[in-house]
Amino acid sequence: MAITTQERPQRWDQPFGLFMTDQDVDRLLTFPEISAIEESKFPAHCSLKGILKNDARVVKYSAGDIVIREGDYGNSAFLVLDGSLKVVLFPGLPGEMLGRRTIRKKTLWQAFKQLWTQRKTPEVRDVKSQGQHSLVRATEALGSSQVFLQDVPAILDKNKTASLGKGALFGELAALGRTPRTSTIFAETDAELLEIRWQGLREFRKYDQGWRRLIDQRYRANALNAHLRATSIFSHLDDKDLQEVADATLFETYGKFDWHLTYNKLQTKEKTLGIKDEPIIAQQGDYSDGILLVRTGFARVSIDRGNGQQTLTYLGTGDFYGADEIFRAWQGDSNVSLRVTITALGYAEMLRVPSKIVEKHLFAYWSSGREGFRKGALQSSVESRRMQDYIDRTLTDGALLEWAVEERFVNGTQAMLINMDRCVRCDDCVRACSAAHDGNPRFIRHGKTFENWMVANACMHCADPVCMIGCPTGAIHRSMSGGMVIINDDTCIGCETCANSCPYSNIRMVSIRDDVGNFITDPQNQKPILKATKCDLCADQISGPACVFACPHDAMRRVDFRETELDENTTGF
Amino acid sequence: MKIQQGFSLVQVWRYVGLASLLLLVTWQWTIQIDSSLGISALASGWVLFGVLAFLALFSIRKRLPFMPLAPSAIWFMLHTVGGFLALFLFWLHTDAMGSKGFYGQVLTILFYITSISGVIGLFMEKVIPRQLTCSGVEIIYERIPGEIAAIREEVESLILKCTEEVGTSTLAEHYLETLNWYFQKPRFFLNNVFGGHLSQHWVRQQCMILERFLSEKEREFLDKVYSLAEKKRKIDFHYALQTLLKTWLLVHIPMAAAVTAMVIWHLILIMVFFV
Repeated sequence: MAITTQERPQRWDQPFGLFMTDQDVDRLLTFPEISAIEESKFPAHCSLKGILKNDARVVKYSAGDIVIREGDYGNSAFLVLDGSLKVVLFPGLPGEMLGRRTIRKKTLWQAFKQLWTQRKTPEVRDVKSQGQHSLVRATEALGSSQVFLQDVPAILDKNKTASLGKGALFGELAALGRTPRTSTIFAETDAELLEIRWQGLREFRKYDQGWRRLIDQRYRANALNAHLRATSIFSHLDDKDLQEVADATLFETYGKFDWHLTYNKLQTKEKTLGIKDEPIIAQQGDYSDGILLVRTGFARVSIDRGNGQQTLTYLGTGDFYGADEIFRAWQGDSNVSLRVTITALGYAEMLRVPSKIVEKHLFAYWSSGREGFRKGALQSSVESRRMQDYIDRTLTDGALLEWAVEERFVNGTQAMLINMDRCVRCDDCVRACSAAHDGNPRFIRHGKTFENWMVANACMHCADPVCMIGCPTGAIHRSMSGGMVIINDDTCIGCETCANSCPYSNIRMVSIRDDVGNFITDPQNQKPILKATKCDLCADQISGPACVFACPHDAMRRVDFRETELDENTTGF
Repeated sequence: MKIQQGFSLVQVWRYVGLASLLLLVTWQWTIQIDSSLGISALASGWVLFGVLAFLALFSIRKRLPFMPLAPSAIWFMLHTVGGFLALFLFWLHTDAMGSKGFYGQVLTILFYITSISGVIGLFMEKVIPRQLTCSGVEIIYERIPGEIAAIREEVESLILKCTEEVGTSTLAEHYLETLNWYFQKPRFFLNNVFGGHLSQHWVRQQCMILERFLSEKEREFLDKVYSLAEKKRKIDFHYALQTLLKTWLLVHIPMAAAVTAMVIWHLILIMVFFV
């Protein structure tokens, strides 16, 4: 039998920039921000030149082009090589200007009118209006597009802005922290930027002290205090104490940033192997050396049971663990070790507040029982009791949550959960969805099942929306009102990036049609024009999600697994 | 947050209570009219017409999913309770004796068919989903033919592979003579409807008959065929029960439409010639 061989895939088989040359790299090394990096600190397999060539690319922007948009998710940071950029600080640009969709609820009459204004063929678009007011302009890079601003002077008049010149670095916190961009930045003049994807940025931070200091300082200055302040146990500290806690906090990252790319591969693996592959953040039985806070991503909480690990729950952004163990140890309890194992579920960024600083700033106050500080102690013991409840659960009680964690459905904030014991498979939900969306349903009433529960293939409006990473025009974005992930049809260029990124296959590409039902094609290659479509929770319908509203058997719910306990009604009606 | 699905017992009884109250009020009204020597059938007829019209509105509600007309689940509950109320009102209206005359008798028969199909449908909708879930597979009805075709293709390629690798045609011949029939389309419909195991028994029987004529290698192929037959059995089960869930409405809705049309004509006749 012939053996098929293949070169082992390497990290840089798919470079970030297709047209980066050695000359470009040499040129980059002349810029002070890059030349200051100590090349010798980088290992041979991950050289500085290699990173610049494969994890970075030089991008040119014309005046008015938007570089990053407020609210977008991105996986890269930018270094200004040439030109000038503007950061829009206040009050911010309206959504339409950023290529976003403005959601306006239909009036009662507009809703009723759908009864006869609906087309017979699905996915009809108005060809004349498509592209007429387009904010999208093609760039030099093949198949790439940018959204541009049309009236820059007016924007400068109406908004408070700040300038970014040569040598400025931006976007690194959102890229490494997987958080939305906090402001919009556009090119004031023609500009040349070095875009570094997160993998390269991670290496810079790892091997170069200067970049590490810069990135960590920025995070400490811009986001850490706010995060600690929002965490219940630290919320009562005064500014000085909080600053001291922030200064001592350690940053840790676990797992793969692009976990969604390997997610489907994981699904074919034996489930128990999945957990064993996850990077361990804290191990059951170990001594706790600090409070763990989840900055971004998800962490699985499990305990050893039999030959495997039983998932108890999961921690998401803002959650913490470990305070109670340290508190009890501080009070003199012996044998206080971690009761659970915490592993990164895909990708997690953690903050570790060392025990010593916690003892100094929290426990002394907690034990004094002073008003105000009692709340923190109480919160910690509530969390601890809840964890004990999880530990005391039977395998059967926790099976559904275990499944939801395993399948990463916990990422969803609006997962479509169907009780198959109630569902009569009438497809009223599908028809309702179709009626509310151009004659084409935005979900499939099919999906993974556990016992009598099915999570259907509908957009879950994830807490970590990986579909949004890499959208070249920002067409897929999180709505500022309601937080749902929606697509602006006008600025969607049909590149399929979002559909390919969605680990749950909940985004579908559709060919659009004209008024008479013919497919609209690209005149250059005669291929049909594609648009990405997905569930938008019927954001513009007054009745809310039509699917849930239309289910005669009340079998369907949109749920956030974190906040959900499934309790079926026993009457059967 | 706990997910509460469906209606609690209190809610169900509230709807039933309201329906009972309406029935009692109508009954009292007809007694009053009778005692004053009036035509009580007119009163009960109007109330019955109102309830029937309300029942028909459910179908219109289904066509307007984008209108804020209360969740469909509430409509369904009202439709169910209203359906039973209509039955009692019909008995009150006709003195539980049924109508005289050809038109009235046809209307009565259609009304009973609609009511009975509704009750059967309700029963099926409460029982079948759980049975489908217990089957362990989930499949969209429209995808069933494709799924069966895919299984058939897989079985046939297994049989061909067996013939090529082992060099005998025993399994292939037996397949053509017996199992081929099974893999062509959904089978044992009625048996599946009544929850029987005939399908499983039949396939097992066919495999057992063949087993002693096969070599070890061929048996491995037969085992694979058997597991595919098992998969198909579950799909057949879904086909049978999902067909039931879909087809009862093909009786209920046309009959309900006919009843509505005849009731309107009945009302016109009464208003023109009787009142």
